[in-house]
Amino acid sequence: MLNSVGRQQRRVVVTGIGAVTPAGWGVEPFTQAILSGRTTIGGFTRVDHAAHRTHIAGEVPPEPPALRRVRGWRRLSNTDRFAVGSALEASLQAGLAWPLADSDAAVFFASSTGGLFETERFVHALIDAAGTTAPRGLLASYSLSSPAEAIARRLGATAAVETVSSACAASALAIEQALRAIRSGEVEVAFTGGSDCLCVTTYAGFNSLRAVDERPCRPFRVDRAGLSLGEGAGVLVLESLDHAVARGAAPLAELMGAGSSCDAGHMTAPNPDGSWAAEAMRRALADAGLDSSAIDFLNAHGTATPLNDAAEAAAIRLVFGDRARALPVEATKGVVGHLLGAAGAVEAVATIVSLGAGTLHPTPEGGPVDDALGVDVVLGQPRTSSALRTAMSANLGFGGANAALVFRRWSES
Amino acid sequence: MNPLVERVVVTGVGVVAGACCGIDALATALHASSSLSADVDSRSPYHRDGSATQGVLSIGVDLSPWVPAAAARRMGRPSRFAAAAAHMALLDAGDVAGDDATTAVVMATAFGAIEATEQLLRVARREGPAMVSPFGFTESVANAAAAHIAIATGAHGPNITIAQREAGALTAVGRGALEVASGRSRRALVGCAEEMPPILHAFLDRFFALAHGTATTIEAARPFDRRRNGFIAAEGAAVLILESEPEARARGARIRARIRGFASAFDPTAARIGWGRGHVALGGALTRLLERTSTERSRVSRIVSGASGSIAGDRLEAHVLREVWRGSTLPPVLAPKGHTGEYGGGFLAAAVLGATQPSAGPTVGFDEVDPELGVTPHRGGGLPAPDVTLVTSLASGGAASWLLLEAV
Repeated sequence: MLNSVGRQQRRVVVTGIGAVTPAGWGVEPFTQAILSGRTTIGGFTRVDHAAHRTHIAGEVPPEPPALRRVRGWRRLSNTDRFAVGSALEASLQAGLAWPLADSDAAVFFASSTGGLFETERFVHALIDAAGTTAPRGLLASYSLSSPAEAIARRLGATAAVETVSSACAASALAIEQALRAIRSGEVEVAFTGGSDCLCVTTYAGFNSLRAVDERPCRPFRVDRAGLSLGEGAGVLVLESLDHAVARGAAPLAELMGAGSSCDAGHMTAPNPDGSWAAEAMRRALADAGLDSSAIDFLNAHGTATPLNDAAEAAAIRLVFGDRARALPVEATKGVVGHLLGAAGAVEAVATIVSLGAGTLHPTPEGGPVDDALGVDVVLGQPRTSSALRTAMSANLGFGGANAALVFRRWSES
Repeated sequence: MNPLVERVVVTGVGVVAGACCGIDALATALHASSSLSADVDSRSPYHRDGSATQGVLSIGVDLSPWVPAAAARRMGRPSRFAAAAAHMALLDAGDVAGDDATTAVVMATAFGAIEATEQLLRVARREGPAMVSPFGFTESVANAAAAHIAIATGAHGPNITIAQREAGALTAVGRGALEVASGRSRRALVGCAEEMPPILHAFLDRFFALAHGTATTIEAARPFDRRRNGFIAAEGAAVLILESEPEARARGARIRARIRGFASAFDPTAARIGWGRGHVALGGALTRLLERTSTERSRVSRIVSGASGSIAGDRLEAHVLREVWRGSTLPPVLAPKGHTGEYGGGFLAAAVLGATQPSAGPTVGFDEVDPELGVTPHRGGGLPAPDVTLVTSLASGGAASWLLLEAV
């Protein structure tokens, strides 16, 4: 395959996926949830929200008992557990047993909060009683890099371990870093994705911005009123096609390309004309060596905030032109909420699931789509099509970070 | 195989390290025989009795020549440090513009904007969530510094924040260099930014990571020294301007160094907090970097080590270096974290200086060789002619990054 400047580059395939979402632990419950047309967003207990403005979120249920037997599980933060749980699932699907016999695997991972949920308990203890001796173990996973390291430690990985923390675009950017590392020959296998846990900081913070809807979020709807927070993790096992073929692994999809950009305009508000988000999409297409006409559907960032959805729709119109109104758009956050640093990874998993099944997942009902946005959001019921071959997944984050990934359904031909 | 970085050069450096603003101020400070540390505010509710008292802090430093007050008041402290360092770096590179469609920003942070997070939590706890400031929340995200650099300079290329503890800064340089080498980005602003508020200082102290005074020694970082017992925590920022060598030469830019290579690796024997004992595997990764870049060990004219005074971190660092230079004498080892402390921007900027300067100051804090380590860092004075410089950072938690800088 040739890249946008005509250089031959290695093909990179997805051989395993894993997910931990408010729908449960695993890709299967996630798939059932996104195809159901029903939201998993509702009441939650992770954070005491009695005094907060809103009272709903997407909360991950307790882990399966078998996972509690993973070495060191009890000492992991919630974010680390989501990461390790989804990485273990992805690894099993890829046929890579832990610890890896070939330890030349890298981890390119994302998180926006790391172990902040546990750290908050430590800080609260000290705020309430200065000089107290709160258990320092609560701080042990504070680092944003902790989820990546937790995966790497259990893998026995010795290659690069790098964490991206670029807000809501973080895991898409981490996946881009993994793609580049495999293409360049730096590594053959990479575990990539993201993980985040609900916590007071993000719940109070997004509420302070008046960015959280009191009802489950309704991406691209005419009366959309903000996002719903969620938690969880998504993991992709990426490897060079040669490596996958050599070990007899069955690819699920090909990661064709990635692109990113920055609005460079405002810390929270996206550029309203969508021009730099569009640039990230164009760069991903160029990196994949594709024209926009090759894209069969888009998994959108779709936070359901008035500004984000308008900017993203503008970007879609810029990239896809007259096709925009006919391009099917998935909005996964309507089902599981906004998983912050894990959003791009979980939505990449949704994109791969949709490509594999030939079925686009719906966003739960919540009123009519905002016609002014000019996008075709899949609503209510799944859409099945034998023509689904290539898809884009897009993410837009705080600080103007934009990222897009292009996946193609795997075909031997 | 590892990533190959070729024909990418450093043309500008900006730094805020302690009271030092700018690369020239830092160069002067690094030749002194004392560190940049000062007293921390230990009146916070987080410090315990007997806590460490020193930090390399940039409180009260005048950044207004680079960040106007109207912009600074909308930024948290890491963002101010980063925006100031970015402007210094662009000026140092010949007053080039950062407002390019493909200019990348790759910044690292070890801990993110923890002061904004702590303030948010305190307000939410004591006054209720309704009193939480939206401004404080937006500045609490880890990528605030990188975003503010882009906003201040108009850089529309990839905007990435790396959070890989002590290895993050070199990783950011390496990934930014790859962006430029690939042709995807015309330039890259790369580096790191950190703040060291009392809460973070106290956290580190609770893990016994910080240097502390004893009956016979004062509180100081002592890289490679037998008496070392922790590092001095620092805040600040460093930003390097990376661009392709042909473009830099075409515009007549002063080239500070060439990026010859970059690699990162992981030591799975490391605990969540602390360093492991995987020096053989890490040494193998570093050896592969040298081989891939066709760098004979004899060409490495100096090592700028990330040794910070940490007991286990410096031990691992020494064992990795000895693993690679087995049977050979190590080139001169500079350990600038004795001056600059751990985190912040001082180390990265010192690495660029260390790669090209004919001489260096003494290693602050070093006095007694640790026989287990067998590394004697530079005692001050002249250095061999610069050729290839190895820059190292081994992080707690297991990550490792190395950079090869080449004199031009």
